[in-house]
Amino acid sequence: MVTKEEIMKIAILSKLSVEDDEIDKLTKDMGEIISFADTINNAADEGVEFDNINNLSNAFREDKVVPSLEREKILANAKDSDDGCFMVKNIMK
Amino acid sequence: MKYELVAGFETHVELATDTKIFCSCTTQFGGEPNTHCCPICIGLPGTLPKLNKKVVEYAIRAGLATNCEIAEISKMDRKNYCYPDLPKAYQISQYDKPLCEHGYIQLSNGRKIRILRIHIEEDAGKLVHRRGDTLVDYNRGGVPLIEIVTEPDFRSVDEAKEYVEKLQNIMRYIGVSDCKMQEGSMRCDVNISVRPEGSEKLGTRTEIKNMNSITFIAKAMEYEYGRQVDLIESGEKVIQETLRYDDATNTTSGMRGKEDANDYRYFRDPDLVTINVPRSLVDEIRESLPELPEEKKERYINELGLPEADALLLTKYRKIAEYFESASEGTKTPKTAANFIIGQIFRTVETESEKEQFDVSVSAENLRELITLLDSGKIRMNLAKSTLDKMLETGKKASELIDEKDMGGLDEGALDELCRQAVENNPKAVSDYLAGKEKAVKAMVGFVMKNSRGKADAALAEQKIIKLVKNS
Repeated sequence: MVTKEEIMKIAILSKLSVEDDEIDKLTKDMGEIISFADTINNAADEGVEFDNINNLSNAFREDKVVPSLEREKILANAKDSDDGCFMVKNIMK
Repeated sequence: MKYELVAGFETHVELATDTKIFCSCTTQFGGEPNTHCCPICIGLPGTLPKLNKKVVEYAIRAGLATNCEIAEISKMDRKNYCYPDLPKAYQISQYDKPLCEHGYIQLSNGRKIRILRIHIEEDAGKLVHRRGDTLVDYNRGGVPLIEIVTEPDFRSVDEAKEYVEKLQNIMRYIGVSDCKMQEGSMRCDVNISVRPEGSEKLGTRTEIKNMNSITFIAKAMEYEYGRQVDLIESGEKVIQETLRYDDATNTTSGMRGKEDANDYRYFRDPDLVTINVPRSLVDEIRESLPELPEEKKERYINELGLPEADALLLTKYRKIAEYFESASEGTKTPKTAANFIIGQIFRTVETESEKEQFDVSVSAENLRELITLLDSGKIRMNLAKSTLDKMLETGKKASELIDEKDMGGLDEGALDELCRQAVENNPKAVSDYLAGKEKAVKAMVGFVMKNSRGKADAALAEQKIIKLVKNS
């Protein structure tokens, strides 16, 4: 069972703000998702190999350099930038 | 009470690929901020990462060189945490199916440091903290790393130092990383705890993050060991936390409460398919591995008959070993080349980085030529030594510095004549010697060497002179 406290903890870790009236619904939904995952886990116990379920593997790239994107384009969506860098609020306390 | 140090290492090594782990941007160090970036490595929505094949091969190389088992099936996972150095708010790493597991590195005291795992992951960007804001440069973001995790098998700071040095040398020998600690291409996190000697139970550990020099690692470990012992002695408890080492004050301080592994909410990265490692690839990589420093050292001792100290000095850096092997090839005894390199050529390379580069003015071929002259009896050891000094100074070949008349031994008659002159011209040395000062004979030998232009056999000359003096 998923508890309201767990929902709040995950919300904080994910930097999501959750309103009081949303908690009950989220807790119920998350509980259903987890129990669905449990169903899959039980199937795994029956010898089903989940590591490569879609039979796709080894989609590799060769180690060859391709020019990067111009910096103006890299920074185009940044809220703020300075000195060619993304700028964010000070994260050191 | 006596305490025992218990430590484990997590070492990040940047792989020497040309491109990043999931995109084709360059991995070059430096560069203007955010000029080695593309939509994939800055984590724009809708982009699809694709794994660099070389990263997998290099990680397997590293695994084989540290005696690991290589997984048949491996995969990539997302490690979630929010920090501006990660544009996607998760790092693509490996959780429960790392590429390599269960290896070890053996230390000189015979103890094995077990390697729990080696996994591949992407590096984070670089943050510059300013007053009020933080600047983010993602050039390093997405550069491939391997993380090498040991079991808590270290019992002393010296073991830790040796391990880091050995690991660094192995990675350089196999060519997967330059392991430049000062440039951050090798960084260590150390887990430390203490326990009463003889106890089996592990104490509460702290983790010192991101150290980039062996000296700092040693100092930080010593400081942290002392701090934990003091806490326990005074009845307090060690708190499990992540620490930063400050080399200016030689102290550690807390960074943040260590999060539980669960908090990273690892899950499989659905954008990246399974990695299947065919055994044929593992065999191929195993065969392509060069002889490792440890194996080389053993071979130098057991097959070439070098003393252990020489073998250690010659195998520490790959370039020195290659130089030695080339210079001694086909010569009478490898010890001659070893002596010249350690005794004379090492004087011209002082720092560790100079030794590593080993860019010396005498080529291995030219040293071999000098040794061949010596082996064939054309020149004697003292002339060879002084010629090598001149070669180091001028970069010239031995054959350019020694002319024909210096070559060839001195015939017996000429040596007898020179010895006779030496005794005649050094009456003081003769009387000193007869008065019991045995060292006085050296002056007369010196006379012979000088006047034979170094061609004379010094030991033979000494015998002859002593005979002459005693019979006079």
